[in-house]
Amino acid sequence: MNRVITINLNGNAYQLEESGYDALRAYLDDAARRLEGNPDKDEIIADIEQAIGEKFRAVLGVNKTVVVTKEVTEVVGAMGPVEDGSSEGKSADTSGPQQATSSKAAAGSSAAGDADCGPQGVRRLYRIYPEGAMLSGVCNGLAAYLNVDATLIRVGFVLLSLLWGAGVVLYLLMVVIVPIAVTPAEKSAASGAAATAQEFIRRAKAGYYEGMKTFHDKHAHREWRRKFKRDMRGWKHNFQREMYENTYNWRQHWAPQSGQPHPQFWVGMGFTVMILKWVRLLFFCLGIYAVYSLVTKGGVFGVVLPSGIPLWVGIVAIVVIYQLLTLPLKALQWSCYYRGAPPHACGPWLAGPFAGLIWLGFLAAVIWLGDHYVPQFHEALKQLPPLLHQAVDAVQKWLERA
Amino acid sequence: MSINEKFSSIRKGLLEFLVLKIISADHVYAADILQELNATEFATQEGTLYPLLSKLRREELVDYEWKESEAGPPRKYYRLTPKGKDQLRDTLDYWQKINGTVKSLGQK
Repeated sequence: MNRVITINLNGNAYQLEESGYDALRAYLDDAARRLEGNPDKDEIIADIEQAIGEKFRAVLGVNKTVVVTKEVTEVVGAMGPVEDGSSEGKSADTSGPQQATSSKAAAGSSAAGDADCGPQGVRRLYRIYPEGAMLSGVCNGLAAYLNVDATLIRVGFVLLSLLWGAGVVLYLLMVVIVPIAVTPAEKSAASGAAATAQEFIRRAKAGYYEGMKTFHDKHAHREWRRKFKRDMRGWKHNFQREMYENTYNWRQHWAPQSGQPHPQFWVGMGFTVMILKWVRLLFFCLGIYAVYSLVTKGGVFGVVLPSGIPLWVGIVAIVVIYQLLTLPLKALQWSCYYRGAPPHACGPWLAGPFAGLIWLGFLAAVIWLGDHYVPQFHEALKQLPPLLHQAVDAVQKWLERA
Repeated sequence: MSINEKFSSIRKGLLEFLVLKIISADHVYAADILQELNATEFATQEGTLYPLLSKLRREELVDYEWKESEAGPPRKYYRLTPKGKDQLRDTLDYWQKINGTVKSLGQK
């Protein structure tokens, strides 16, 4: 009777007899030692582990779930000793002229290849959805592709939309043409992450690190921790890490502040949230009416759609404007729920919910100023009540007919 | 010393060239490379092949991409880079030359 040890090779669990496990451990340790100094050591070890896993799978079946020691030694024997053909004459038992020349060749070319250090993933344009996407992931994907902030791209699209809706057309075209990144490989290709990042995702997905943790011997555990730390250091600048940092910052920022807030805080918050909700409802009704009047009369609030532009562009523009107007409102509502502003920033009264009221006051002031000093705006405002009446009438008529 | 032993270092030196040649078929999996080699005098083991592949990749002669496989974790599929193709062509030419030399010497 033999004890069985479960191991993880690249995401698949295998059960080995204990002495077989020792043999495999010895082989992998030996491989790691021989590859010492090789820049691709971890990757080669991962490849070898995967190959061993495939060989194990070949000997296992429905009624055979344990790899016996004999099979482990056979597999290890078939793998053959790891020969590091690329480290500068370090390999222990493989010498000879051929080895020496190939080492030299490797040294020469690695010096040339070191400039762009390491494998660089191919960058491809994908839509990234739903991770961080707002509508359909076009801007998000483009931002990852160009390596700039997604908000900049979004602002760019909105600005471009002001030029006879060019941004909107471009956006819709891209929604249709650009594919969504689905597989991990595509996702990392979307941001051109280095192959090491792909590797990280693959390993994380395959439970590689989790598996290493379950090794029942101290040495392996220590090795796991070292490896993990080294990998994390190496991938400091990749987007995964950035994502974690962003999440952390977000949490830091939005997490409830310690200590109970002032009782007045809750009163203020409830009040503000209520007002924000009504304002948003108003915006929503206005948006619906705008689309309706655009479809029936070809114009919104006295602004006639220029003849060159198709109707759907106008509708999309209204949706975009609606989003733009309500975005700060939504953000305010959320900040109320999460008590976003730090309490020491400007006193308990001005912090958090009351900032929302200040913002609304600002908006009202802008409208008032526009009403007074911009004649067109004044005209549009004056037309608003009759237009609303017309809208209500139209809805009533439509209901009666229905 | 048998012929087999005499040529062991030559075989070792040719291995890189042959691996490049196999990969030139495009999208080749490491196990397929081994299978193809094992049918010949150039039988090789994983322990030799994987370090060699990583060296070739570092020299930018080959490149790989991950492909999801039906069973088990994703696999690496190798292919030649333009630089690798050039090198393979040059090596093939050189090999032809050596072949010609071997044939022509002592033929007078």
